[in-house]
Amino acid sequence: MITSPGSTPPGSTPLGLDPDELVACVSCGLCLPHCPTYRVTGLEIASPRGRITAMRTVESGLAPIDEAFTAAMHACVQCRGCEAACPSGVAFGHLIEGTRARLAANEPTDPNRGRRSVSRVQRLVRRALLGRALTWSWLLRLSGWGLVIGRVLHVIPRRLRSTAPNLRPFDVRVRSTIERGGRPDVWLFTGCVMDAWMGATHNAAAQAIRATGTTVGRAERNVCCGALALHAGEQDLARNHARRVVAAFPGAAPIVVDAAGCGAALKEYGDLLDDASARAFSARVYDVHEWLASERSLPLRTTGTTVVVHDACHLRHVQRCHTAVRSVLGGAYDLVEPADEGMCCGAGGAYAATQPELAGAIGERKAAALRAVGADRPGVVVASANPGCTIQLRALGFEVRHPVELLADALIPQPAEHESR
Amino acid sequence: MYSRDAGLSEGRAGAVCFPNDAADVAFAITACRRHGVPFVARGSGTGLAGGATPLDDALVIVTTRMNRVVGVDRHQRRAWVEPGVLNLDLTRSVTQFGLHYAPDPSSQQACSIGGNVGTNAGGPHCLASGTTTAHVLAVEAVTPTGDTVTLGGEVPDTPGYDLRGAFVGSEGTLGITTKVLVRLQPNPPVVRTLLLDFESIDAAAATVSGIIAVGILPAALEMMDAEITRAVEDFVGAGYPRDAEAVLLVELDGLEGGVDEQVRSVERIGHEHGARSVRVARDETERQLLWKGRKSAFGAIARIAPDYYLHDAVVPRTKLVDVLRDVYDIATRFDLTMMNVFHAGDGNLHPLIVFDRRIAGTWERVYDAGTAILETCLAAGGVLSGEHGIGVEKRDLMSQYFSPADLAAQGRLVDAFDPDGLANPHKVLPAGSRCGEAGANRPVPQGAWI
Repeated sequence: MITSPGSTPPGSTPLGLDPDELVACVSCGLCLPHCPTYRVTGLEIASPRGRITAMRTVESGLAPIDEAFTAAMHACVQCRGCEAACPSGVAFGHLIEGTRARLAANEPTDPNRGRRSVSRVQRLVRRALLGRALTWSWLLRLSGWGLVIGRVLHVIPRRLRSTAPNLRPFDVRVRSTIERGGRPDVWLFTGCVMDAWMGATHNAAAQAIRATGTTVGRAERNVCCGALALHAGEQDLARNHARRVVAAFPGAAPIVVDAAGCGAALKEYGDLLDDASARAFSARVYDVHEWLASERSLPLRTTGTTVVVHDACHLRHVQRCHTAVRSVLGGAYDLVEPADEGMCCGAGGAYAATQPELAGAIGERKAAALRAVGADRPGVVVASANPGCTIQLRALGFEVRHPVELLADALIPQPAEHESR
Repeated sequence: MYSRDAGLSEGRAGAVCFPNDAADVAFAITACRRHGVPFVARGSGTGLAGGATPLDDALVIVTTRMNRVVGVDRHQRRAWVEPGVLNLDLTRSVTQFGLHYAPDPSSQQACSIGGNVGTNAGGPHCLASGTTTAHVLAVEAVTPTGDTVTLGGEVPDTPGYDLRGAFVGSEGTLGITTKVLVRLQPNPPVVRTLLLDFESIDAAAATVSGIIAVGILPAALEMMDAEITRAVEDFVGAGYPRDAEAVLLVELDGLEGGVDEQVRSVERIGHEHGARSVRVARDETERQLLWKGRKSAFGAIARIAPDYYLHDAVVPRTKLVDVLRDVYDIATRFDLTMMNVFHAGDGNLHPLIVFDRRIAGTWERVYDAGTAILETCLAAGGVLSGEHGIGVEKRDLMSQYFSPADLAAQGRLVDAFDPDGLANPHKVLPAGSRCGEAGANRPVPQGAWI
């Protein structure tokens, strides 16, 4: 029995995947231990290899796109730990994004749709939320306050409960110290939710960048990287976001990103938009630690604080520049590595809200790995460079801070920096 | 989803179950026996010979949820573990005591201990320390009759027949492992890993013989040929030479002084046989990266073609040079791309034919070439399989190695454990080996090959 897809033209198959990408998996299974959903379920269908087998079966017409297939594809966190582990270089991220895009497009007309399928109205609301709404800072601030107040009144929906307890009035109230527009030496990408809810991180990132003697600015208007839309399968919305982002950062200055998920998305605009200007844009994108590590060393004091380094998946598996976090923090903190090879924490953008049970189990596994190296001891801080992870890890009871905030704390004030203020 | 493992054969799962403990396994097997349903155990599905491929609509008993390390005795250096524990996870769980589990198949990060017991798995470091059977003191298993038994024991030499020895490597035909008592090894004080780079396979093979001949027994001694080295380097970027015809990875361990002397000897022997360079890994990071490359080799071949057919023959080390030459000649004759990445130290070859099954007529040539390779190895005094097992893929080649009387003796052992013929049917022994099916020369079921 031949399970690989035939030589039909791309796009005409049920999922429209590239047959060469799909056939690249040799089923060796080396991805299995790196997949968070496989680790917590032990199920082949919850593994990258199993998902590829399912995609192949559907593509070759041997099985329909049914509820079980849809559920299996939505259960993937899209951490892409499998991609980093795959010796064959299977582009799993691309395959799952393509599959989710086709599923999202088919949802309202799916004849086999079951109980969990979304209605037309729900889809419209979701598209509205994942589209322009993410660039409306007043709405994000309002929802941030909503979560803060909702927590006090105990009226938070069950699915958002992991988020709500960790949003403090302080986080939402922070004012940005970064000027908009102009011709700065580097741009700081401030994004959507993070800008509204974690502005202090951006301020810290800007402070660290200025400490290298560099000027930093933010975009004239608020933009969103589009990763949430892309992961939900709304590729057209993601492309719209991407075009707005490319337009928002004119010139040739580097674009520095302090959220791992956003940085990964920006670096993949070349593939998403598939044009020369997007590729040129992606080449200008740096993770903040990557950029800082390549600059002259920062004036840091030794803090004596122990920091457990948590790697955001999109920093480690997609951008593959997680070692830079250690380079920049190592001068000021005692760094400790968890022994789980950068396993996902289960946050996965909106995953914690859409798949609370799996996200919970994956989170517990992560918590055990962090506790094993003493991350729960008083005074020990977990460093996380992605807002999703930060929220998830705080919900698990850890003291979590962004590496650039730790960096800002350890900076020795320089005369030049006072002048620029 | 459970119709195949990492090999090339495909079956069909009648049903799949996920036991949590030995009692669940016994329940499943008893139910199978009552209803005459065959069953097959599956761990991580990383097997390379179709051992976990369900035939006759068998019930697949998946052990991934039996993944606890039950108890570690750090002083006696042993541990009871459940079959779903991953090989590398076992080592990680005892690192804090300065111990490790020695057999290290290339898939060690993903493969399970239960599967290792089933295939008597090997690995690079089995050269010095022996394959799985040397590291399994006891196995608790549910037999095909539904009885829970413990084979072997906590003492080194249990009285009576060595059924533990028979069980290890039985590929699920004698029962399903529910708990394993493994031996743990102390980590060596000093480890040095060397990468030797050659302009010909012959020179590399001669170096292997040279190293063994002076009385050095490396912890591991691996060879990779040109194509696989390039594929691996594309993945890991460990600094493997892209223009080498062959590379050797040599690991030496022991006490500082002795190891340093061995390193010098290996360097000298390498240069005598024309090594272009000898590189000693500077630190643990570099060493790990080199090993990551070697252990990713099978997966990395998809960078060249989407399918591979892999053999696992063992030949006498003295014949290595001749056999390798013949093996490459066969590939040329069948117009196929062949690569080799293998445990050179113990003569365990892994000739790997890469192909694209989508091209009509390819698979037939691949299969015929594979058979020709094995015939060559057997003619040189080799054996069929070193560590991957027989499964369904190598099953019909068993009669080229064993006499009918040999096969009948093995068949009677299986009959004693599995009177109903329900445990992993059609595996290991060719049709006609067992008494119930005498004369019925049933081939591998239709459609089992891809």
